[in-house]
Amino acid sequence: MSKAEHRRLRRRYGLARTAIAFAFLVPNLIFLTVFLLMPLVQVFIEMFQTGGLIEPIRFVGFRNWERLFHDPVVVQTLGNTLHFAVIIIPTMLILGLLIALVLQNVTRGSATIRALIYLPVLAPTVIAGLIWLFLLDPDLGAFNLFLRLIGAKQQIWLGSTALALPSVAAMEIWRSVGFWALYCLAALLGMPRELYQAAHLDGANAMQRFRVVTLPLMRRGFLFAIVLATMFVLQSLDYVYVMTDGGPANTTATFVWYIYHALFFFYRTGFGATMAVLLLLIILALSLIQMRLLRKRTGG
Amino acid sequence: MFRPRPAGQAGPAITILSYAVTALVALACSLPLFYIVSTSLKEQQLLFTYPPNWIPSHLYWGNYSSLLFTTPFLRWVLNTLVVAASVTLIKVLIDSMAGYAFAKMKFPFRNALFVIVIMTMMIPFSAILIPLYFTIFNLNLLNTYWALILPPLANPIGIFLMRGFIEGLPSDLENAARLDGVSEFGIYLRIILPLVRPGLVVLAVLTFLTQYNSFVWPLVAVNDQSMQLITTGLATQRSVWQVNYGIFSAGAVMALVPIVAFFLLLQKQFVAASLAGALKQ
Repeated sequence: MSKAEHRRLRRRYGLARTAIAFAFLVPNLIFLTVFLLMPLVQVFIEMFQTGGLIEPIRFVGFRNWERLFHDPVVVQTLGNTLHFAVIIIPTMLILGLLIALVLQNVTRGSATIRALIYLPVLAPTVIAGLIWLFLLDPDLGAFNLFLRLIGAKQQIWLGSTALALPSVAAMEIWRSVGFWALYCLAALLGMPRELYQAAHLDGANAMQRFRVVTLPLMRRGFLFAIVLATMFVLQSLDYVYVMTDGGPANTTATFVWYIYHALFFFYRTGFGATMAVLLLLIILALSLIQMRLLRKRTGG
Repeated sequence: MFRPRPAGQAGPAITILSYAVTALVALACSLPLFYIVSTSLKEQQLLFTYPPNWIPSHLYWGNYSSLLFTTPFLRWVLNTLVVAASVTLIKVLIDSMAGYAFAKMKFPFRNALFVIVIMTMMIPFSAILIPLYFTIFNLNLLNTYWALILPPLANPIGIFLMRGFIEGLPSDLENAARLDGVSEFGIYLRIILPLVRPGLVVLAVLTFLTQYNSFVWPLVAVNDQSMQLITTGLATQRSVWQVNYGIFSAGAVMALVPIVAFFLLLQKQFVAASLAGALKQ
């Protein structure tokens, strides 16, 4: 075989291999392009427009951003979303860790107990929301029946501007705490046993072992969990939609709830797209933090 | 002489305390679910009695029959299963293909392309909700199964997972098959897929759960009563049923039964899948 022929064959083989590789990738690339990347580009175009649903499309430059910063509901829904995050995330992670810490001492019947703790995680968010709608009912709900039983003052929960947001947050904590318990348990069980034995031999008691061994080892996993949970809470719409639909007086309206309403209630697509870009930027910043954490975890 | 106990070296007192606390937690987590099972089997007027009785004196099935006969609930179940099963099957197929290409094949721009795919993981679904609605609208697919099936296929998490699973496989078998003249597709089908089966199960469970849970997109993409899924169907029924919690509970129980049964069968894969899925959420 001559040298030129060899090269030609090699090139042909390389081309064939590339073609085969792309044949394996093409179905996915098509879906990602049409239903993810193109909409993403579109959202940046719509940001400069108004109309599109009932009015003709008009180019408005940065007018949508101007409106966004002057809209009190934007500020309010961002504030509510933050409020949700501040209540839900620490409670859910700390409870999850505490449950995991006791769970690791449970050996007999642990499968059943874990399954029971995990049950709420299985419930679709919307179904969990509907269940709590019943539990929080002022007349028939279990919470008020309990308050009546112990002789305390009954509450209107979701009807009250002060209690609605914490009540919805409580539902979300109930729904997801089982997941974080198992997440922390997986992290705890994956820890090197020798460190505990060493600390034990050095005379460290349970509290000291927790502080000196467990916490530092779990730090990265915990940071990672915080970022994940934040990204998740920032996008909450479903449970709010079924439990309160943003009420009373917009006190439980989240940012994504407002994006949804911009399109389907106010027909303000450009304005909605602008909010979407803002959300995208916030999530992107969080994702970068998450990537850094991930890289450290695999690298270290 | 030093026998390592599961982590913290718990003594008997701590063990007993741990059992008590976990039992309490398990109760708090599952109590609401048992409560709605009980409610679904009670007549509406019994909900007003005080103190409430936990175990109804006789089982009342009226809530289930009104759920089944006054709403297209069975249709919603069917829709949910059709959509979730289609998405799961297609995802498992195309993600294992892409994962194989990224893990084992050499082609130009492989790493750059993979980075792009990973970057698309950061795009939050709620941010593209509006243009996605217009895409489906322009394709004239609103209110169809296609509207519910196609957009969820654009989710890169599966590629990422499958690449990880396939990368860990030894290349010897593939290379041997390649020398024997088996085509790349043959290798994928007969060697890679059987070897990576545990990974496929994790991806399938994750995809199915995500679909079963999905709400916002179906809410946007379909509005016919007969095209709803279990989640959107029950949620839109809220204003119709008002405080008729018996029917609500019956619906919630019916929605939970398949997923709990599925969970009890595949407990390990469920937990693995949801931990893997945490990467996306």
